Amino acid sequence: MDYLVNFIEQFWITLKVSTFYCIDISPQLWEGTKLTLGLFIVTLLLSIPCGLILALLRLSRLKFISFLVNAYIWLMRGTPLMLQIFFIYFALPMLGIRFQSFSTAVIAFTLNYAAYFAEIFRAGIQGVNKGQYEAAKTLGMSYGQTMWRIVLPQMIKKILPPLCNETITLIKDTSLVYVLALQDLMRIAYQLVKRDFDLSPFFIAAVFYLAMTLILTMLYQRLEKYYARYDD
Amino acid sequence: MPVMTTDIMINAQQIYKSFGNLSVLKGVNLTVEKSEVVVIIGSSGSGKSTLLRCINHLEKIDSGSIAIENELMVKNNEANQAIYQPEQEIKRICSKMGMVFQHFNLFPHMTVLQNIIEAPMTVKKMKREEILPLARELLQKVGLSNKEDSYPSQLSGGQKQRVAIARALAMQPDIMLFDEPTSALDPELTGEVLKTMQNLAEDKITMVVVTHEMGFARAVADKVVFMDGGVVIEQGKPEEVLVNPKHPRTCAFLSRFID
Repeated sequence: MDYLVNFIEQFWITLKVSTFYCIDISPQLWEGTKLTLGLFIVTLLLSIPCGLILALLRLSRLKFISFLVNAYIWLMRGTPLMLQIFFIYFALPMLGIRFQSFSTAVIAFTLNYAAYFAEIFRAGIQGVNKGQYEAAKTLGMSYGQTMWRIVLPQMIKKILPPLCNETITLIKDTSLVYVLALQDLMRIAYQLVKRDFDLSPFFIAAVFYLAMTLILTMLYQRLEKYYARYDD
Repeated sequence: MPVMTTDIMINAQQIYKSFGNLSVLKGVNLTVEKSEVVVIIGSSGSGKSTLLRCINHLEKIDSGSIAIENELMVKNNEANQAIYQPEQEIKRICSKMGMVFQHFNLFPHMTVLQNIIEAPMTVKKMKREEILPLARELLQKVGLSNKEDSYPSQLSGGQKQRVAIARALAMQPDIMLFDEPTSALDPELTGEVLKTMQNLAEDKITMVVVTHEMGFARAVADKVVFMDGGVVIEQGKPEEVLVNPKHPRTCAFLSRFID
């Protein structure tokens, strides 16, 4: 009986201590989350338009432009993102081009993700029926009007699932910036684990990542619901 | 020239068109006068749809000339190759024609009303309020006033095609081109579309209709054109071509339609 009471007491104390510890380190992890979120949002805002432009160029009737974009996508998808980060951070300064850590991260992620988004957008654009272009043409719409008003809105509905996948991957890929000594969520968690010989920062970091992913997933679900108002 | 050229809406001469090695049009001539309803008949692969698509610049011809309301869109050079007008000019000329497709091609992400007002707003830069009265009038004309907030996927095939007709009419074209407008419809739905087209014909809109509906051709057409193998075999009044065809190939084609 004494043993059980002792165990419960010990357990209670441990729980209290670790709860206090977790509350104690949460602000630091939140700081890291802010950097992670910042990088995520800036990358998304830049890489989606870039990806869209790349996709349209890839579909260009000019073979040369299409080929160039293809080569770019091959390069970006064919090498590790980490290598691309290193290249921008270490190789470009030799040519006199120097970026801060955060800018390096933004540039590398944008260049890389634009390539992936481009392929998603291309598939979505090609999924729109050829008859839509003909109808728009016979109504006198220009290429720009057809794309902007007819094709791209229909593309969005088609690409939501792969787009959701890619954005979730991006959130987690941001942890690669530890190589740039940026204080993101993952790096701060790792430092705390090393400092305190306690694994709980990892678990809290996991909860933070999961929360971000959950919010994203819910946003995408709402978008899908909105686009479910019509069928092709 | 004794012909009143002002009344010629479509003048296509010596149209040649091939896709790769397959030549689809082999010297087709077609003239359509104002307020005329021309029905083009012929078996699949005879080139009738291609002819319509060439007139509307959805396909480029290899050789020949096309003029819409006496404005030249394309003509031959000395080497008998078709030379097109500049893009802007073609766009202006083609804006005189509206087109209805076999598969409707409505914009699925827009409601019926949005489908109709889209082109007037983006192309003609009209304000929503300016185009709404005409849009509603057209919807009433095609009998779909109660469907303006529906999406195309919520409509039957016949209703979709009537929306497509209203959408084309919203750009106020002088000429309406119909590319097998009832071929994708269940037999019981073709009637409502044909009735709508018949009403248009009574409004004296110039129409070119590619169809397999012989009843419609006989009742509505001013001129029937029979095409086979990429050439016009016979053309004339419906009672001539459909009832007393001169050419054996026309007879053979029509015999398949006799119940």
